[in-house]
Amino acid sequence: MPLRLTLPLSVRVPLMVSGLMVVMGIIASQLVLTALVRSQERQLSDLAQSEFATLSTTLAPLIQRQDIWEMFDVLDRATQRVGGFSPVAAALVDEQGRVIVATQPDIHPVGAPGVALINAATPVGQLNYDSAQDQISLRQNVDFQGRTIAALIIDFDVTELAAERRQTWFWLIAGNLTATLVLASAGYVLIRRVLAPIGRLSREMSQPGGASRAFPEAMIPQYDTELANLYQTYNGMIRAVEARGLTEKRLSERERFVSLGRLAGTLAHEINNPLGGLLNATDTLQRYPDRPDVVQQSAGILERGLKQMREVVQTTLHMHRSDQSALPLTPADFDDLHQLIRPEVERLNQSLDWHVAITNADCSGLFAGPVRQIVLNLLLNAAGATPVDGRLGLHVAARDQMMHLRIWDSGPGLPAHLRPRLLSDDPVEPGGGLGLRLVRDLVNQLDGRIALGQTDAGYHMIEVDLPLWTQDDA
Amino acid sequence: MIKYASDRRYFLAAIGGAICASHRVMAQDALPLRIGLTPVFLDNEWVVLEYLRDHIQAVTGHATEFVQRRTYKEVVALLLLGELDAAWLCGYPLLQHADRLQALALPVWNGAPRYRGYIITADDRQASEIADLRGDIHAYSDPDSNSGHLVTVAELVARNERPDGYFSRSFFTFGHRNVVRAVARRLATSGSVDGYVYDALARTEPELIAQTRVLWRSGWHGFPPFVFATEARNASATRAINDALFTLDQTASGRNVLGQLQLDGFALPQPDSFDSIAALMSRVAERD
Repeated sequence: MPLRLTLPLSVRVPLMVSGLMVVMGIIASQLVLTALVRSQERQLSDLAQSEFATLSTTLAPLIQRQDIWEMFDVLDRATQRVGGFSPVAAALVDEQGRVIVATQPDIHPVGAPGVALINAATPVGQLNYDSAQDQISLRQNVDFQGRTIAALIIDFDVTELAAERRQTWFWLIAGNLTATLVLASAGYVLIRRVLAPIGRLSREMSQPGGASRAFPEAMIPQYDTELANLYQTYNGMIRAVEARGLTEKRLSERERFVSLGRLAGTLAHEINNPLGGLLNATDTLQRYPDRPDVVQQSAGILERGLKQMREVVQTTLHMHRSDQSALPLTPADFDDLHQLIRPEVERLNQSLDWHVAITNADCSGLFAGPVRQIVLNLLLNAAGATPVDGRLGLHVAARDQMMHLRIWDSGPGLPAHLRPRLLSDDPVEPGGGLGLRLVRDLVNQLDGRIALGQTDAGYHMIEVDLPLWTQDDA
Repeated sequence: MIKYASDRRYFLAAIGGAICASHRVMAQDALPLRIGLTPVFLDNEWVVLEYLRDHIQAVTGHATEFVQRRTYKEVVALLLLGELDAAWLCGYPLLQHADRLQALALPVWNGAPRYRGYIITADDRQASEIADLRGDIHAYSDPDSNSGHLVTVAELVARNERPDGYFSRSFFTFGHRNVVRAVARRLATSGSVDGYVYDALARTEPELIAQTRVLWRSGWHGFPPFVFATEARNASATRAINDALFTLDQTASGRNVLGQLQLDGFALPQPDSFDSIAALMSRVAERD
């Protein structure tokens, strides 16, 4: 994954403004330089055309007379001048492409091929020169009485002009660079000041742990209506989030009580069952107090009934003890869960498939409280969703450092509108959750994952995988 | 030089007699003297003409008008038309019009009224004789110049060569100094030049001459003379110019003229002064 340097907005925007100003400076410099080059080229073109016009007028009759010396003398004198834009070499090439005369006869002797000279030169009307060059070669036809009789090629010395252009470039670039840097720095400082309240807001919003807090009224910039509105909106959002947190907390508590309430029904049923027998035994004891065998039998019934009730009560107490969440998970916790769910299942005449294949060693790092709450909620939902005479089951196994919980039933499956409560962290409307969001939150706290699936027999199944933690992981 | 000047004065005394005594007084109202020149000899030498003008004024009382044309032909035409009183020409055009032109005086250079023609080439060129110049681009001075054209053509004829085909290309510069420049700048690979002009330039423009070297020297020929139209032999202007030329050593301006031109003085033409040039003309004419 490529490393990305993320800068805060209060730095990024000023940097972008500075960057844009630098770009603008470069563009402005380029435009000025282009205008300078065009202006210089126009000036050079005018000078060159004037030079060509003068020489062509003088040379035309000499070319006609083939007066080599006079042509040479004219060109030679022209190239002896000094100045900012003066000819340094010149040549005449006839229509057959042969040199008529050149001021550098040792390089271009009379009668030598001159086509290369023509090809190397630019037509004077298309003057375009590179400041890196010290000379430019231009050409123009020499006409006499309406007929082209030769091509005149002149090499102009542009050393001074090129130096002037380079100097102008240097000062222009230096000036623009300085101005751009000053403006960019000023822009950076200015925009940073303007964006400082935004930066403060951003820092506050990105507090570690999400512990954002509302700004005091004194910190809200009153001079800027938009910023003040933004701060007020932010404060409103913070308060809304706080209110929502409280609501969710209350909802979670309520969901715990919902499951507790549902348990209470089964608990009453569980206590009510032996209660009839116990009352009968009491009645028998009152009626036959002098019959030791009857008293012995009734006392036995009373003891078993009371033991059964004690078991139910102890399990329930165990389930809701406040220190439960800190105890490590053991296979016995699943026995308790079986004890708790069994009455509900029996009440609905459902069959329960209970398969817990773990040992104490398989529960490493998991606490009893959250796991019991997860399994109980899902089992209660499974029982509620399964029709009378239906089937449901729990399958618990541990492998690959994970505890796998599978709760399945023969019901129609988790309705689509309830799935986000279990499978996502999206906000949910209060109510009607059947403890699913509580399950979701608990699984998240344990770094586990939840998925929907099907058993081999085609029953709908909720899969919960919880990572096991060893001593080394800690 | 003194000897030649004295001879000339003696000659004038014989033909002019007492007329000379009143010459200066009569000249006060006369037309200016018209002297023709070509840049073949005098190129960039206007200061010499100023000294010469002053000298003529001092000696004859005449103002002087120098008429300069590019070629010998133009000057000769003006001379024949009577537009000029005298002209500094070359022996070759003099002989071409021997029936109508006459030499007035010959400059004396290095003690004698003679000079030679040179064929020059670039100083760094590997060539030792005329045979090495075949196919050259050759610079001549003037079609009517002896040393700047006739001498070379005649030499080629003597070597049984066709002058028009010996060089790949040739052109005229209409000035001996220009011939040297053309060779020095490598516009021409060889050139025909007046030996006097070449040696004089060696003193005044040694850096130019240093870029060339003399490959071949001709024989001696009569120095390019001052010429007048034969029909004006008795004209006062002719006599005035004659007086001025033979008295150059007697005025400061005249001495400056001689110094600038590196000449000793002037001498009377002798009957055989231009025989050698005539011989060259005959050789070339016979070839044609």
